[in-house]
Amino acid sequence: MADQPYWNPRTETMAREELEALQLAKLRRVVAYAGERSPHYRAALAKAGVGPQDLSTMADLRRLPFTTRQEWMEGQDLRPPYGTLPVAGPEAAIRLHTTSGTTGRTPLRALDSRKDWAWAADMWCYGMWAMGVRPHDLAYLAFGYGSFIGFWGLHYGLEKLGALVVPGGAQTTESRVRQIVEFGATVVATTPTYALRLAQCSRDLGLDLPGSAVRTVVLSGEPAGSIPETKRLIEDQWGARAYDTAGMTEIATIFMFECLHQPGGAHIIEDHVLEEVVDPVTDEPVPYGEMGERVVTSFGRSMIPLIRYRTSDLVVKVPASRCSCGRTFDIYEGGVLGRADDMRLVRGTNVYPRAVESIVRARPEIDEFQVRIVTEGIRDEIYLRCELHDQAARAAEWPAIQAWLADALAGAHEGLRFRVELAEPGSLPRFELKAKRLVDLRAASRPLTLEVAP
Amino acid sequence: MRATAGYGAGAGPTDLLGRPVEDADAELLEVYARLRHLAGRDDLPPCVTANVRHALGFVGVAVTDLGLVFEHLLDRGT
Repeated sequence: MADQPYWNPRTETMAREELEALQLAKLRRVVAYAGERSPHYRAALAKAGVGPQDLSTMADLRRLPFTTRQEWMEGQDLRPPYGTLPVAGPEAAIRLHTTSGTTGRTPLRALDSRKDWAWAADMWCYGMWAMGVRPHDLAYLAFGYGSFIGFWGLHYGLEKLGALVVPGGAQTTESRVRQIVEFGATVVATTPTYALRLAQCSRDLGLDLPGSAVRTVVLSGEPAGSIPETKRLIEDQWGARAYDTAGMTEIATIFMFECLHQPGGAHIIEDHVLEEVVDPVTDEPVPYGEMGERVVTSFGRSMIPLIRYRTSDLVVKVPASRCSCGRTFDIYEGGVLGRADDMRLVRGTNVYPRAVESIVRARPEIDEFQVRIVTEGIRDEIYLRCELHDQAARAAEWPAIQAWLADALAGAHEGLRFRVELAEPGSLPRFELKAKRLVDLRAASRPLTLEVAP
Repeated sequence: MRATAGYGAGAGPTDLLGRPVEDADAELLEVYARLRHLAGRDDLPPCVTANVRHALGFVGVAVTDLGLVFEHLLDRGT
């Protein structure tokens, strides 16, 4: 078993035309199921005048209406607490999870049945197996184990796979680092931000993390897992290889994973999710190699079928042939590149948190940072505030780092001048889950808003 | 909705793309059908019903992974 390269060789190496035929077969069944049982889809599909009988080819996918987060939230208000999407009540479910709430919007509530949860864990197995995780591994999950779905599915996936799992919840960072080293963990799962914090903590404690047994760091929860500069920093500080994944509470699990070949992106689990990339304004599909918004249809969750869900994630899809691993699953180049609603407009220039992070992480002296956008008089200003590792000892280095950052940021942002400042040690927020490093304090913040018809 | 693998013009069951299944697949489908049947019974002790429903969830994922069957099992308590 352990020497097999794929978790599910039948579909992971399936010819593209067969894979699409399989997706179409599943799509028809999901549409029929949702139209019969979900109050939301019963109404939405009837309004659109479309049903499973109308899906003859994949091109017919576009006849189906989009589903939005707004509709999910409105459904929860209309029929509290679970909304109008679920096909059954909580008596049919065994788990309840919520979204993280980091966007400041109403958290979504998601129910899973026994089979849903077995499926969610299985999607993680696709990813873990592709990263080389095997039953002999000892995996440490540096995660809070709360109602946010986070790495819960990974925990069950690792158990299914046969690995030994250490749940690292409800502990201090110091305690987690000690356990990782003392237990001989070979695999550690964490967010990119927290991976760096764990590494810093290990240095503070005098522990030799690069010399430990850890060989694989599983990243999720933030786009930073695919930012080359951040990943390199993590790999250097852990002495291990870091692999990106991305998932979402709305589908219960991950939809992409990075394989051992690390082709500069992550494979989409295309036998279980149908991923479209569309222009966020025109809704038209964009071709391979162009950035657009992810739209997902999930085949796996029985409690909450999800059809053409608009994610706001920005991605670039490229063909599977970009990777030499043998999988025929297409790839999101560079992972999730950001969120459409993360973008800020500052004096006419687009600023994406990911682009800023990729520059900041090129300087390993920086421990933590924050971007603040404010209005001063009639003008918007953007500040980058940084804390350094061993800040007191590095005071003399700061002017050179500051100048480098200012130049690099201006160069990447059409000459927009960032005011780069040193923050007091320990004054910037630290994160275990999804980091939120961009703070827009303008009276009326102006994210890119997607005009999506309900 | 159709619950299990279909049957083509030949003697055996077919997968979701209408192709005949392999021997190991057929064996797995038998296990799935038995669990599916047991999960729907209401005359078994809780220790049997709960474990069978849990097992059905796992085997249900396996047959879906292989493209043999694709169904939602809420009506079977799974």
